Amino acid sequence: MPSPSRQRIAITGAGIVSPLGIGWQANEQSLAADRIAFRPVDLFDTSALIAKTAGVVDLPEETPFLRVPAHKQPFIDRGTQMLLIAIREALAQAGRHDMQGIDAMVIGTSAGAMPLGEAYFEKARHGTSRIPSQLSRAEYYQQQRQMTSIATEFDWRGPVVIVSNACASGANAIGWAADMIRSGRAKRVLAGGYDALARLVFAGFDSLHALAPSGIPRPFDAQRDGLALGEGAAVMLLEAEDVRRSDALGDVAGYSTATDLHHLTQPDPEGKAAIRTMTAACAQAGVSPDQIGYINSHGTGTPFNDVAEAAAIAAWAGDAVKHIPVSSTKSAMGHLLGGAGAVEAVICLMALQGQWLPASLNVREVDPAVHFDLVRQFRRASLQYALTNSFGFGGTNATLVMERRAA
Amino acid sequence: MNAQNIRIRGVGAVSAAGWSAAAMQQAVRAGKPLPSAKCTRPGDDRTWPCETRLVPAVPPEKITRHPRLRRSSAITRYSVSAALEALADAGHNPAAPPRGLGILFVMMNGCVNYTGRFYHEVLQNPAQASPLIFPETVFNAPASHIASFLGIDGAVSTLVGSPNSIMEALDTAAFWISSGVVEECLVIAAEECDWLSAEALTYYHPKHIASEGAGALLLSATGDGMLMSEILGPMSYLSWSERGTLLAELAAETRVKFNGNATLIDDRSGIVRLDRAETAAWSGVSWNAVLSPKKVLGESMGAASALQLVLGTLAARETQQPVVISMPGTNTAAYACVLTP
Repeated sequence: MPSPSRQRIAITGAGIVSPLGIGWQANEQSLAADRIAFRPVDLFDTSALIAKTAGVVDLPEETPFLRVPAHKQPFIDRGTQMLLIAIREALAQAGRHDMQGIDAMVIGTSAGAMPLGEAYFEKARHGTSRIPSQLSRAEYYQQQRQMTSIATEFDWRGPVVIVSNACASGANAIGWAADMIRSGRAKRVLAGGYDALARLVFAGFDSLHALAPSGIPRPFDAQRDGLALGEGAAVMLLEAEDVRRSDALGDVAGYSTATDLHHLTQPDPEGKAAIRTMTAACAQAGVSPDQIGYINSHGTGTPFNDVAEAAAIAAWAGDAVKHIPVSSTKSAMGHLLGGAGAVEAVICLMALQGQWLPASLNVREVDPAVHFDLVRQFRRASLQYALTNSFGFGGTNATLVMERRAA
Repeated sequence: MNAQNIRIRGVGAVSAAGWSAAAMQQAVRAGKPLPSAKCTRPGDDRTWPCETRLVPAVPPEKITRHPRLRRSSAITRYSVSAALEALADAGHNPAAPPRGLGILFVMMNGCVNYTGRFYHEVLQNPAQASPLIFPETVFNAPASHIASFLGIDGAVSTLVGSPNSIMEALDTAAFWISSGVVEECLVIAAEECDWLSAEALTYYHPKHIASEGAGALLLSATGDGMLMSEILGPMSYLSWSERGTLLAELAAETRVKFNGNATLIDDRSGIVRLDRAETAAWSGVSWNAVLSPKKVLGESMGAASALQLVLGTLAARETQQPVVISMPGTNTAAYACVLTP
């Protein structure tokens, strides 16, 4: 995909909610401590499943939604709550208290408000009479209705784009928003992604035998046996350089997306689409592989993904590969699906700001396909550019390149 | 928005009226609601009426064969058919799609039949839930199948939202084309019906009749085709009352330019309470013709605005006059657009 423009897009605020904690500081501290966040899932019954653990977010007891009436609060999805918390943090970091002046919101999600759909299904299946509360379940199952609840919190009116490209959704949303600004269609866009754990999705990955039976994902380990699911949300406030009014934390320098036609759920073993997105995103950013100081890989921990991504990174980077630090933060928090790309983009931003590298944890023996510098412990580093890959079911590949702002 | 000055070169549709845009146009023009049937549900029968207007069985000449389509959902099959029709309508050979093609896919509920079936299996015994079905529940599965079928390995993306989210997709398609990301773009919106979504609609109003289908538009910056000459919106609202006010503003903007010299394709369903704001908004305007596809086809949910756009393209081609399309939406934003020959 050719690069439309090399214009940098300023990131003036970021918010993050992950199983490692709520907020930038909590996540930074957890990553610095090489902490992992997996525990038994108690949101639904996992007794008949192979996997029983995930990265679970501890939400505050009090709802973040202040304008939703009490009788509608049960219909606000967990994921939407995480998203609102992340939005509030991003706005605060950008010195804003509200969303006025923001032109659009672009949000990625894979499952959306799936638990509402599950509840609707279960009620419908067991009754033959009309159940009045089903109207609210049907209404709030729609992602756009959940987003309207967020807009109502800020009395904000603007276009909301919901991108759903499976596990690449969050990265695609950020790239989509950056493109909106590059093309002049918007000056300020809130962009990110989210997903909460849902029974259907958990059982789905379990049915595919994609989840690690031990509950511990080991991306790039020679004996890795699957991923762990997680939940979370992350958001960035992206602004055109001519309108930003606060210090930028960094820039979105490059973005590309492409489609892997190999299989609905399995990546092309050579990672050809990933090679194209890494190449195009770097071309847009105007950087070469040897300038990339950190890659936050898609790195799920499944046998197929990691070997394909390792092959793609090696082919794309060429001789530079052995000097490029790579890790998968899914090893610490799990795979956040529609939230993964956004959360990992914010982690890249944190790494650029703090000049450190988060680790790929739980690795016992490095897979022979790995030719890059696998970061196995948190470490300090000097880096100007970070790259993050996101690959989804359906073959959507996305790469974002971010750049550090001089202090 | 960006979509102005983008041409719709080809259209295709699958609807309750049949497996072509022409079949839909004929039915909507006739103005007579298509027959509906009682929506069956598993287990005991429901105690309230629930009707559907489903897509008829696929005619033999519309059957497509591809490894990815063997297990694919109805929404995928509708979309493939509409996409192939749009490519052919634009003069392309569907068997050899043009290079540099992108796809933007829009839906509201998604692959509901497989999702319901898979979740039923999960509730019965999750250890035996089918790993073949689960991937088909993902929102972007249809776009992925179409990309595989057509060999498109570039920009492909799925949006979820209200039916008029297709306007955001058109906006992005225009950007992709103008910036060289793609040369042409298929914008497809589709929905499939199941007993759960049909029942859900009856909670909004008991007279709602659920339908399904797909509309496809092939966009290009060059060549012949209907021009998307104006886009009004998004006019975002947070409540049903705000929606009414905004619809009046949106209609007032349009009225100045097109009073008496255009066709209106509206979103009205024939249910007075739900149509009230849109009826009031357009009430003082004279039109050459007014077409209301929902009154004939039913509520096609995520496909509804795409079907309006397909119908509008056909109408503008035939009349060689502007067509105004009203897309008031239900819970986020209102749009209208003007197609001109």
